Amino acid sequence: MADDPNTLRTPLGRVRYLGSARSGMREDWLMRLTSVALVPLTIAFVWLLLSLLAKDYNGVRAELGHPLPAILMMLFVLVGIYHMQLGMRSVIADYVSGHAREWALMVNLFFAGALALACIYAVLRIGFV
Amino acid sequence: MAATDAAPTPARSRPLSPHLSVYRLTLTMAMSIIHRITGAALYVGVLLLAWFLIAASMDAAAFGIASGFLNSILGRLILFGFTWALFHHMLGGIRHIVWDAGYGMDAPQREWLAWATLIGGIVLSILTWAIGLAVY
Repeated sequence: MADDPNTLRTPLGRVRYLGSARSGMREDWLMRLTSVALVPLTIAFVWLLLSLLAKDYNGVRAELGHPLPAILMMLFVLVGIYHMQLGMRSVIADYVSGHAREWALMVNLFFAGALALACIYAVLRIGFV
Repeated sequence: MAATDAAPTPARSRPLSPHLSVYRLTLTMAMSIIHRITGAALYVGVLLLAWFLIAASMDAAAFGIASGFLNSILGRLILFGFTWALFHHMLGGIRHIVWDAGYGMDAPQREWLAWATLIGGIVLSILTWAIGLAVY
């Protein structure tokens, strides 16, 4: 393999597995990592969501005031929004070009960041205020 | 860049790589597109979750508006769609993990995985809501 005459790649380059762009693998890996984490988180979230929908104001606050549902909700929000931001990033890379792409990537990060912060703030406020 | 902008060469149509519309639609292709669409839908749908959480963190009046909408017929329809998109996208992700591990890439297996994702997503959402509404 290392002596393959049909490649210009050095053995070290092959081991590093970074390709010519150097940084693409990290994004790919984070996508895989978050998707694995999201399988159990999604199932737990859907169940939590259905129980919350049936409750009134005090019921929802009591439920999200408990550590376990609150931590679960925040984990789902953090990992889920990070995952969806990564996904939208690749959609933008595929369909948007030029300056519009730079704007779209920026708006994507602002949207995801603000949304994540808003959800975390809300859950913490329910628990502590 | 400025030099080329100032003296543009006459426009010439360049060869394009064949895009989606060139190919006959196959099941696995459609699944790939649905995976993207459900992902984008969930991207927007998280706004509803944020609304619900923020309303619950404010006061009973704000919560009443959010909860009232989500428990209306339209709200329930949107939420059912949201959970379906979530389950479909999740099963699609599991399909990708299976492929990453090096399995399921033969034609019959690809078809089988596509059908399992498609049917599994619908069954999981119906089952979840049926059980959820019965329990809560």
